[in-house]
Amino acid sequence: MNNKYKARYRQDNLMKSLVYAFSSVGAIFLFLIVYYVVTTGISLVSWDLITGDSRAINTSVVVDTTAGPYPLSIELEEGIFYSTKWGIGLVEGTNREGNTIVEVGYVHPNSPFNNAVDQTQVDEDGNPIIWQLEAGINVITGFTDTDFFITQDGPERIVEKLEAATVIERFTIQQEGGGIRGSIITTLWLIGMTLAIAVPIGVSSAIYFNEFAKYSRATKIIRSMVDLLTGVPSIIYGLLGAGLFVPILNSTLGTAGGSVIAGALTLSVILLPTIIKSTEEALKVISDDLRKGSLALGASKTQTVFQIILPNAVPGILTGVLLGIGRIIGESAALIFAVGAAIKDDIILTERATSLAVHIWTVMGGEAPNYELASAIAIIILGVVFVMNFMVKQIASKLNKATY
Amino acid sequence: MLSIRDVVTKENIRRKNRMDWISQHLFMISAFISASFIVMIIGIIAIRGIVPFIQVYEGYNFREGFVDVGPVNLFRFLTGMQWLDGAVGTSAGYGIGYVIINTLIAVFFAVVLAVPVGVFSALFIAKIAPKRIAYTMRTIVELLASVPSIIFGVFGLGVITRWVSSVGTVINFQTAAGLSLSATVIVLAIMILPTITAIAETSIRAVDKNLVEGSLALGASDIQTYFKVVLTAAKSGIFAGIILGVGRALGEATAVAMVSGNLFSGIQLNPLGTTATLTSRMLLGQKETIGLDYDIRFSVGLVLMLVILLSNFTLRFVMRRIGGVHEQ
Repeated sequence: MNNKYKARYRQDNLMKSLVYAFSSVGAIFLFLIVYYVVTTGISLVSWDLITGDSRAINTSVVVDTTAGPYPLSIELEEGIFYSTKWGIGLVEGTNREGNTIVEVGYVHPNSPFNNAVDQTQVDEDGNPIIWQLEAGINVITGFTDTDFFITQDGPERIVEKLEAATVIERFTIQQEGGGIRGSIITTLWLIGMTLAIAVPIGVSSAIYFNEFAKYSRATKIIRSMVDLLTGVPSIIYGLLGAGLFVPILNSTLGTAGGSVIAGALTLSVILLPTIIKSTEEALKVISDDLRKGSLALGASKTQTVFQIILPNAVPGILTGVLLGIGRIIGESAALIFAVGAAIKDDIILTERATSLAVHIWTVMGGEAPNYELASAIAIIILGVVFVMNFMVKQIASKLNKATY
Repeated sequence: MLSIRDVVTKENIRRKNRMDWISQHLFMISAFISASFIVMIIGIIAIRGIVPFIQVYEGYNFREGFVDVGPVNLFRFLTGMQWLDGAVGTSAGYGIGYVIINTLIAVFFAVVLAVPVGVFSALFIAKIAPKRIAYTMRTIVELLASVPSIIFGVFGLGVITRWVSSVGTVINFQTAAGLSLSATVIVLAIMILPTITAIAETSIRAVDKNLVEGSLALGASDIQTYFKVVLTAAKSGIFAGIILGVGRALGEATAVAMVSGNLFSGIQLNPLGTTATLTSRMLLGQKETIGLDYDIRFSVGLVLMLVILLSNFTLRFVMRRIGGVHEQ
């Protein structure tokens, strides 16, 4: 008897430790995902990344040849090679694509590089464009009267060559790209347009199902058709966008292939079941006394819906909207089909673009995936999604307190 | 003096009724629009998916110029062991038989991994853990469920494929930079874990308290009760979670496309070799948005929907036959 208990005890403990081990798996992976994304991408997250252009700007400049010397009055950071003759310090760095580059590290206040004249373009009025070289601008190539140099020379060799020169004939510079401003704007457009389409339709549908629909076979069928939408994978929604919305927009608005508008329409269909569901949840808990009281006071059904029911359903609608925003920001497969995967800086709603999630898809595809940029965007996406979830939880707990 | 007759006139009542009629019908139209999308999805994909099997496309290649391509042979498409026999634009020899099988293999192993982990987690949250820890764990599961697919892709490519490729290095097997069946399975398993956990938890919570107390009164230990009574009673809910998980795994696209390696031909049983799923085949290699190579994706989508439906029916059948479980 005693032995039997011992065996049971052992077995129970074994099962218990298995349960503990298995239930920690989800937590471990969530931690690993957040840890990986944050450690890989955090160094890139900056205001420059968020507001920056995706496409790099290349241009050539010439500078005044009345060379210095410009002796240093301050201590330069380590790694900056300084040309006393021209008053410019160069340093090695890496860009957002992960390639080694030569950056401008320091420019002397009197250096000719403070007003370098653009050779390749003029501004709208035809006046020359003046570049002030500063940190963040990369040096690509250059021609002097005696030599030429390229990025691969490294900052030390380039500075040596500059010191040897008497005239700088051309200097090719690049303002770094890799920013995500275009994708952020696209994502905001998608959120705005999608909610503008999906919320009215979704809320009205929920009101119909909960307030007007009679209990009948037809209602049941319609309702289950809406429920079926929940189980459809997002790539299939993408095919709906590519097969229905894109052709319709092609023939009406004259778009060519995917467009932001097609993406918003596709996302609206994706959001419908979520918004209908959460609105209905809220409608269900509204006490019937309120409805009957309103009707008894002589209000029409319409008045009851708009003045009694809808205000009470706001938390539910808000929950749907917040969940929807999270879904829009994270959606990728459907948008690859409906909007395309071409990163843009200037967003035109009838043309292709990328949302933040599809931006990740684009930079992770191809031969050299850009883990840093992808993780930086992933931090932004995860941040928004987690905040949305937190807010939904807050609303839900407030509601529960109010009801019980 | 305002009399009630001045307010409740026939005219006013009629206006009120007219208002109600209009608003009711507006709400009804919205509901019909919402319901119509499922019909549109099925209709559009069915029509566009069948076109490649009927229509002759105009293809182009550099050697022969414009050539006629198609129609695709349906039987060959469904049983083919190679994605495309020939070059894009000149060949209609598409085949996804091997893709279907590879998809089912990946999903099967993902479910095998995720079910014990998910069910045990659910048991922990619902029965074993103290209230505070249970709340934290549930939050973690919810957060994991909200992580978008693309981020699983980044994580898969940045971490899991590296694990796989280092395992490959240890056993002296050259992997395709870690893009593999096992990476696909792991990513899928993490993605369906929250679904299975959440639904299993709900059904474990719903188990009748009398059953538990009866078992304890008969002398069974806590753990014995959980595993032999609670889990048995919650079987149908757990099965429902599995069905949902399978559906989600089959339709998962972005993350899988990033780590699968998009195998071109053949059935992959080696966990370190690349694989392909229906979704990864649809997503990858899009160059143009017209022509046979694009339209064939609708056919793959049609097959994907059929595979999801069929697996759903099969699982429901199995659930009734083997489990002796009745749907709630």
